[in-house]
This record gives sequence, C-alpha cells and structure tokens, in this order.
Amino acid sequence: MDTMFSEMAWLIPLFPLAAFLLLLASGRSGRRVGVAIGSVGSLASLVLSILVLIEHMGDGATYYQDGFKWIDLGSFQLNFGYEVTNLSALMLVVVTAVSFLVNVYSAGYMRDDERISVFYSYIALFTFSMLGLVLADNMLSLYFFWELVGVCSFLLVGFWYTKPAARAAAKKAFIVTRIGDAGLLIAILLLFWYMPDHALDFVRIENVFEGQTGAVAAGVTTLIAILIFVGAIGKSGQFPLHVWLPDAMEGPTPISALIHAATMVAAGVYLVARTFDIFQASPVAMETVAYIGAFTAIFAATIGIAQNDIKRILAYSTVSQLGYMMMALGLGSLTGGVFHLFTHAFFKALLFLGAGSIIHAVHTQNINEMGGLGSKMRITAWTFGIGALALSGIPPFAGFWSKDAILATALHENPTLFVVGVVAAFFTAFYMSRLFFLVFTGKPKGDGKAHESPLSMTIPLIILAVFAIGAGFIETPWNGTLSEWLTGTAAAAHSGGGLVMVISTAVGALGIYLGWLVFVKGTIARDAISSRAPWLARLLERKYYIDEIYEAILVKPLRGLGQLLNAIDQYLIDGIVSFIGGTAVFLGRGGTRLQNGQVQTYGLITILGLVILIIAVVGRRFWS
Amino acid sequence: MMSDLPILSLITFSPLLGIIVLALLPKGSSRALRATAIVATIIPLLLSFWLYADYDGAVDGKPYEEQFTWVDTQFDRLTGTSEGTLSFKLQYEMGVDGLSLPLLLLTTIVALMAALASIHIKKRWKSFYIWFLLLEIGMLGVFLARDIILFFVFFEMTLIPMFFLIGIWGYMGREKAANKFLIYNGIGSAIMLIAFVLLISTAGFNIDTQTFSGSYETIKANLLDMQAAVNVAEAWTGNYSNLFMSETMHWTIFILLLVAFGIKLPLFPFHTWMLRVHTEAPPAIVMIHSGILLKMGAYGLLRFGVFLFPEQAHEWAVVLAVLGVINILYGAVLALVQKEFKLVLAYSSISHMGIVLLGIASFNEIGLQGAMIQLVSHGLISALLFLIVGSLYERTGTTELGELGGLAKSLPFMSGVLLTAGMASLGLPGLSGFIGEFLSLLGLFESMRILTAIAVLGVILTAVYVLRSVLGITFGPMQEKYGTLRDARLIEAVPMITLVAFIVLIGIYPAVLTEPMKHGFDTLLQQLSGKVGG
Repeated sequence: MDTMFSEMAWLIPLFPLAAFLLLLASGRSGRRVGVAIGSVGSLASLVLSILVLIEHMGDGATYYQDGFKWIDLGSFQLNFGYEVTNLSALMLVVVTAVSFLVNVYSAGYMRDDERISVFYSYIALFTFSMLGLVLADNMLSLYFFWELVGVCSFLLVGFWYTKPAARAAAKKAFIVTRIGDAGLLIAILLLFWYMPDHALDFVRIENVFEGQTGAVAAGVTTLIAILIFVGAIGKSGQFPLHVWLPDAMEGPTPISALIHAATMVAAGVYLVARTFDIFQASPVAMETVAYIGAFTAIFAATIGIAQNDIKRILAYSTVSQLGYMMMALGLGSLTGGVFHLFTHAFFKALLFLGAGSIIHAVHTQNINEMGGLGSKMRITAWTFGIGALALSGIPPFAGFWSKDAILATALHENPTLFVVGVVAAFFTAFYMSRLFFLVFTGKPKGDGKAHESPLSMTIPLIILAVFAIGAGFIETPWNGTLSEWLTGTAAAAHSGGGLVMVISTAVGALGIYLGWLVFVKGTIARDAISSRAPWLARLLERKYYIDEIYEAILVKPLRGLGQLLNAIDQYLIDGIVSFIGGTAVFLGRGGTRLQNGQVQTYGLITILGLVILIIAVVGRRFWS
Repeated sequence: MMSDLPILSLITFSPLLGIIVLALLPKGSSRALRATAIVATIIPLLLSFWLYADYDGAVDGKPYEEQFTWVDTQFDRLTGTSEGTLSFKLQYEMGVDGLSLPLLLLTTIVALMAALASIHIKKRWKSFYIWFLLLEIGMLGVFLARDIILFFVFFEMTLIPMFFLIGIWGYMGREKAANKFLIYNGIGSAIMLIAFVLLISTAGFNIDTQTFSGSYETIKANLLDMQAAVNVAEAWTGNYSNLFMSETMHWTIFILLLVAFGIKLPLFPFHTWMLRVHTEAPPAIVMIHSGILLKMGAYGLLRFGVFLFPEQAHEWAVVLAVLGVINILYGAVLALVQKEFKLVLAYSSISHMGIVLLGIASFNEIGLQGAMIQLVSHGLISALLFLIVGSLYERTGTTELGELGGLAKSLPFMSGVLLTAGMASLGLPGLSGFIGEFLSLLGLFESMRILTAIAVLGVILTAVYVLRSVLGITFGPMQEKYGTLRDARLIEAVPMITLVAFIVLIGIYPAVLTEPMKHGFDTLLQQLSGKVGG
C-alpha cells in the first residue's frame, strides 16, 4: 500500500505525452478536441500527482525509485530512471496543478487563435518534460528533460512566430539558457568522471557529498557546484543570464504564467535543491549562490519599478523572487527556498493569468494606457489584488510566510543579505502597488469597452487566489510542517521570527503606502525622481544597459570574428589550396608540351629517365 | 542459412540490377526510370536490415566473411637469402563488423531517401540514376571491403559518379565545383595510394604463404604483432629490411592516412572543396555527399589510421582532439555569418565532423562509440536538412537567408521538419545528435578536460547559428510571394518523416546502434591498454 501510487508515478508525465502525440497526429483539425485532449491529459496527471503527494504525507518514508539501462557501453552504463521523494511529490502537484489551470484558462484566452491545438500540443509537451525533469533520478535524465523544457519554452515564446519580436525573443531565450546549460553539461561530465563508479544518480550523489567522504576533492566539488549553478542561473533567470526572461513575455500570457513564472524557471531552484548536498559541501559555492541570488533580487526589483509593460513588470518580479529562493538556498535553508518556490508558483501564476485577463480586455500591455478597470473586472481585480499582496509579503497571504522564512534565515546567517532582502521587499511592494493602482483605480482610459473575462478564465483565477491566501500556512514560525517533512528534521530556523515578521510587514506596507501616495493620492509627483535624476530613471528603464553591454562585448566581436574568418576562408585558405591544385595543372600542361611529336625530345627524355634509373639503382647500394 | 549466401556481395552489387534495368529503359520515361532507381535502392536497404537483424555482434564478424583470389602473380625474389618465388595476390575480400554495420545501414537508408529526393532532377534521368546507383555500389563497397586494394577501388568508384553528378546536374557553378571536388579528392586518393602501397609492401606480406596482398587481416596482424613483424623483416633479409616496419615507417603511413582521410572528412584547412559541393551539387546528391561520403573519411581514419596504428594514433590523441576542436569552433563561427543556407549547413558539417575527431581522440569506449553514433546521426540529420533544402528550393527558387522568411505560415509541415532537424543538429536530447555529441564529449573528458570544455563552447555556437538560419527561414513576417506555396507532397513527406523517425529512434533508444557496436572496439582498447600498461 505504501508505495502504490508512487510506483505508478511514471505514468504522470506520460499522460501529457500521450496528449501531445495525439495532438501532433491530429494536426490542426479539431480545435475543441485539442482543448479537451490537452486538458484531460493534464487533469489525469494532476489527480495522480495528488494521490502520490497524499501517500507521501502519510506515515513513514515512501521513497520509490525505478529505472532502466539507457546506454550500455560495456564497462560503462548510463541509466534512465525516476524517483519519488517528498520534494518531487510536492513539485509534481505544483506543476500539474498550474498546468491544468492554464489548460482551462487557455480555452478562453486562446479561443480565437487558429493554431489553438498547436498551442495545446506545446503545453502538453512542456508539461511532460517538466514532469520528467521533476521525477528524474539522475543528472543525465534531468539534463535530458531540462533541455526539452527549454525547447518547449522556446516554441511557446515564439508561438506567434510572424512577429519579429517573438522570433528574437525565442532565439534569445534558447541561446541564453543554452549558455547556462553548457555549464550544467560540464558539471555532469565532471561528476561522471569523479564520482565513485561513475554514478550520476541523486541518491549516490547525496551519499558521497553529504558525508563529506572526501571521495571528491574540495576544489572539484566547488567547481561542480558552481557549474551546476551556472545551469540554474540560465534557467531561473538569475543575473547575469536573466536577460531572456523579460523578453520571453512575447509569448502568449498563459505561457508566461505556466513556464516563465510558476514552473520552468523554478527548475533552476529545483536543480540546486536536488543537488543541495554538493553545494553544502562547498562553502564557496554556497556563498556564490547566496550573493548572486540576493543581488538578483534587488537588481530586478529596481528594474521592475521603471517598466511600463504589465508582463515585463511581472517578469522582473519573477527574476527578483527567484533571487530570493536562490539566496535562501545559498544561506543553507532548503526549506526556505522550496517553500517560496511553492507559494510563488501559485501567486505568480495568479498574477500572470490576471494580467492575461486584463490584456484580453483592453488589448494593450502598457499600464499607462489602463486605468479604472477595478469596477469593470471585479473578479480579476480582487484576485489580482490578492496575488499582489501575496507578492508584496503582506500577512496572512502566502508570500508573506515564505519570504519571512527566507528573511529570518538571512538575519541569522548574514545580516548584510538580510538588509538587501528587506530593501528588495520594499521595492517589490512599491512596484506592485504602482501596477495595481495604475491598472485598477483612477479614470478609465481607452475605449472603455473592457469587460470581465469568461468563466474559463476567471475560475482558474479564483482557485489560484485561494492558494495564494492559504498555501503559506503549511509552514509558519509556529508550525514547521514543511521543513520537517522535507528535511526530516524539525526546524529551529525561525529564531527572531517576531522581529523579522514585524520588519517585513512594515516594509511591505510602507511600499504599498508609498505607491498609494504617488499613484492614487498624488501627494508625491510621479516624476519626482525622473525629473531630479533623469539618468537614474533612464538607467532603470534601460535595464542597466545589460543587453547593450552584451551586444557590445559578445555579439559584435563574435560576428566580427566570423566575418574576418569568412574572408580568410574564402580568399586565403581556398587560395592556397587552389594554388597547389593550379601548380599540378601547370605541371601537367608542361608535361603535355613535351609530347610535341619530335623524336629528339623523346630521346632526350628517355636518356634522362635512364640516367635517373641508373643513379637510383647504384644509389640503393649506398642507402642501407 | 544466411551465412550460405554471399550476403555482403549481394548487398554491395544489388544496385547493379537496377543499372541493368535502367540501361534497357528508354531515355524519356522519367516515371519508369525513377521507379526503377527507387526499387534498386530498396533492395540493398532490405538486405542490410536483414543483415542487421541477423548480426549477433560477434567480435570479428567472421560468419560474414567472403573471400576469393582475383589475380595471383608470381615473381622471382630480387634479393634476400631464401629461395623460391613470391606472389602478389589481388583479393576480393569482404567483411562486416561493428564499425561498418552502422555505416552500411546509414548508406542504404540515405541512398533510398536521396533516390526519393531525386524527383527534383529535371533532365537526363537515365544517366543520372545510373551514376547514382554506381555511386551507391562504391559506397557500400567501401564499408564492406576487407582488402585495402579493393577498398581503394571502391573508394575511387565513388569519385567518378560524384564528378558527373555534380558537374552535369548541379547549379550554376557546377563545373567548377566538380573540378574542385575531383582535384582535392584526387590528391587525397593519391596520398592514400602511397600509404596503401607502403602498407602492402611491408605489412602486406604473409610469411606462411610467401605472398603479398592487401588483406586487411594480414596487415593488421603483422602490424600489431611484433613477432610477426620481425618475421616479415627476416624474410626480407635484403638490403632495406630495416626500413620495413620501422617506427618511422609506421609514422609515415599513419600521417599519410591522416591527411588522405582528413581531406575527405574534411579537416580544416582542407575543407574548402566541400563548400562548393554543398552549394553547387543538386540537393539529392548533397544528401549522399554530406550524409555518407564525408563519413567515409572518418571510417577510413578509424579503420586504417586508428585500428592499424593504435600506438601512433594514441600518441597523437591530443593532436586529433585539437584538430577536432578547431573544426568545431571554426565551422561554427563561420556558419554564424553565412548568408546562404547551404553554406551554413556546409560549415555546420565541418563543425559536426569535429565532434567525431573528439570521440576518436578519447581512446575509450564511450568516446569511440560516441564518434560512431555521431557519424550515423550527422549522416541522417544532414541528409534530412538537404532533403528540405531541395524541396525549399523547388518552391522558392532560392536558399539565400535574406530572401526567405515566415515560411512556417505557408509551409507548416516542412518548417516543422526543418525545426526538428535544426534541433537535432544542435544536440537536443531525445534526438540522435545529442547522443553522439554527449558520448564524444564524455569520452574525451576523461583525458582532456580543458579541450572538452572548449569544445562545449561549440555547443552554444551551434545553437546560435542553427536558430539564426532556421528561424530566419521559418519565423518572422511572411513575404507575399511565398503566400501561395504548397506544403510538402507525399513523396517529399515520406522521406522526411522516415529520417525524423530514425533520428528520434536513435535519440531515445541508442541501443539500436550501441548493441551491434558493443565489441567493435574491444581489441583496439585491449591493445592500447596492453601497450600503455605494459
């Protein structure tokens, strides 16, 4: 009984895979059928995932693993397998739940798109890949799905492929994450050759690194951890590989909710959590993770203040929140990171789907062109508000508890990072209130025809809102259910919890209040900063010029090198070899000239040949 | 039952049947000619799959050896002490093992696909298909020949049909391309011939029968077994005995072979000829060229360079790896800036063949198998890409990237296949490219960490140039003139789907290739570990 559902866990990714194959085979025919196939596939996965999770919440460890030999090379073999741990059981539910809701939501949102069944097939393929990633029991299987997830993201970002911006964004998303993937790939190569028995599975990785057995040297451990983290940076949009994530907003909004907020971008955090023992074995790596995470958190939050595109603001907030998760992991709090991942998945999916509902109504993404939508779209406004409060870290919403857990750890481990986290929380609250007030309050702009979205879109919003309120209670300072369940030990983390709770609530409230003063009350002019320090406003608006810097130091030199080599290839290398070929032809021509029909010439050549032969024969005696 | 049949010869010469029928058919009946050619490529395909099903991965593939003597010339001994005559044998010897079987399958598959893709050929069908089938015989023979003279004959047999196929049925600059092809490959063959003559006259001597021959087994045994080598030398106690089998001679032949097959592979800087072939030859022929003929270079390098001279090759592992890395990065960087899609693919081939060198340079089981899988995988992928190129050109009349765009709108199926092929090319897991690339890198990483890490940079660059070109063609706003294009016809779609199916099959179930190759490298690695360890 104990592992009954876990034994069937391999079916979870197969439902969406089957849906994908069915959709692929059916082509573009049958739109309603497409929606039905996709939704049923993800629903089946959701149900089974919930059963697996319930099983795992029961008494006793119900770890389950199974697999098969994938590549057999005689003395070496590479395996493919899955395992169900508490962490992966939790992730399964997050992924399938958000996926299912997005399936339902898209039925409304994408209703008028003629390629809706293609869209559903991509979502199904994505869900399959993400579930495969979650269930993977070793680094190679994980990498397999890691890349597939990246491709699905690429396909969905570029879904509206005729738009040049979508094409550019898709390309950028793929290439930037691939830079991270290259790091992960090298990490896997290192693990393979340094692990005892070339083992790549997480269980043995845990055994080797947890006990600090010294089986892998300290320097190599650090290198492996950093390289894994490079992969995580790429996927989770951490600085300096964050540039693709905001651009990825060119994709349809339900995708932004599913991939670029709730699930795939969390894969980087999940990867670090999965290989946490390697990181813990290397203090240097842990510090790197913590500082990069903290820096990303505040860096992206400041950019979020200056953006005007509703989806881009949310995208930068995602980057920032993922930074929090990384910071938590880097500070040694596995629970903090995973907990925030869990709550964030719900409230960020909520915010994105809410944003989709707004865009659906007003057909613009610029928040300056919106306003007064609160009265026309009550459900969207309420649920979006709940999501915004959760993101801003206001109690009792879900984001408060998880952010609080991270800040409490930070205060305990590294006060500097605590300050960074608090400041970033302030910015977060500020840009979310700016977003909310500009969109939902004030005077209506545009044609005023905005109306509430259909039920297929609002019901997912309501469900997610419930989670955005309640999901935080699985782990509070007084009740360490999650940490005990995840790590097996009761948490003693939240020391000084009271102080942190007061500070983080105060900071969040202050940020919202400031937003209210500026954007509703008008006490503080909106251009208070941009008029006084225009360079600062421009710096934030231009996202610290990171894209421009990459263009200048990477893209252009590479293109220049390519053109230079191209010229060399065409003229020099081809020229030299042609010259050699030409010489052969020239010699041949010379040879034909000798055959001029004059007997004297032939005689001369004959004698010449004879002399050479004689020299050769005589010379051979001296040779040896 | 199977071993009774000379299955290898049947496979090799079965296209001859088609040639005979083609010769009897009238010139103008394109349908009948086409059908004959397609059937003629199906026969070796079926036979080779039968062979695959029957092959049990035996270490030496003994059951499939076919052998008879062709010419036996006797001549008097010029020097030396022992009495009697010597003879020189021209032998017909065929065999199959883990090294040749995957490439044999690749050849029969790609040949059929190329025959199907030849629907775009517009003139002189009869001679086209005759040359085409002759080319196939040559290729099949190359992978099955077990006598180096026979190998050479088959190898040359691919050159002449290729020359005409490029020169007559190619695009604008076809004649120049054909000439260039012939000059380069001629030089390569000449160097190979020198190496082979040196091999035959030294290691080709069978001490028991007092004969010289090009028998691969004899040569291999003489080269690898020191005592045999000494015996050969003693049999020749003439004046220049110390030249035979000396270290210098080993190195000379090895380097000659490296250059000869390096031109075919192609190794930087001997690659410029294949750029012209890629752009000027008809796409169906480029499928063969990029899909199979380039693999002959790698196969020759493995079969003769590495298997016969493992010590030299092993000593030069770093050189091979550096050459591989240069190929990877040079090809990738140049693919990045090309304006013509066919040139992107040509440079991409250079880059991908570099990975094969990395796998070889690893000198462990993982890397060598990776190199073999990479060969098959790249053969399938580049065949698929040029299949699409052919169909695209039929419709748009251009393959200039600047003039294409947004084709996913009017050609959704072909664009989807192109995207899949691109993904396979950039090494997406689940498709065959990943397996070859990953195993080659994994293998090389054991001994050369830094070089492997540099090679991984190529993985990033590959993604950049593939997406740049593939998205440039399929994504973006559609130009109006392409609005009325019709998507792939059935006869175009069938080979596309087939190739994708094989690419996916290898990608998710690589055992189809690793199983028959399982013991392919055992002897090589044993020799090396014996030499290095002892």
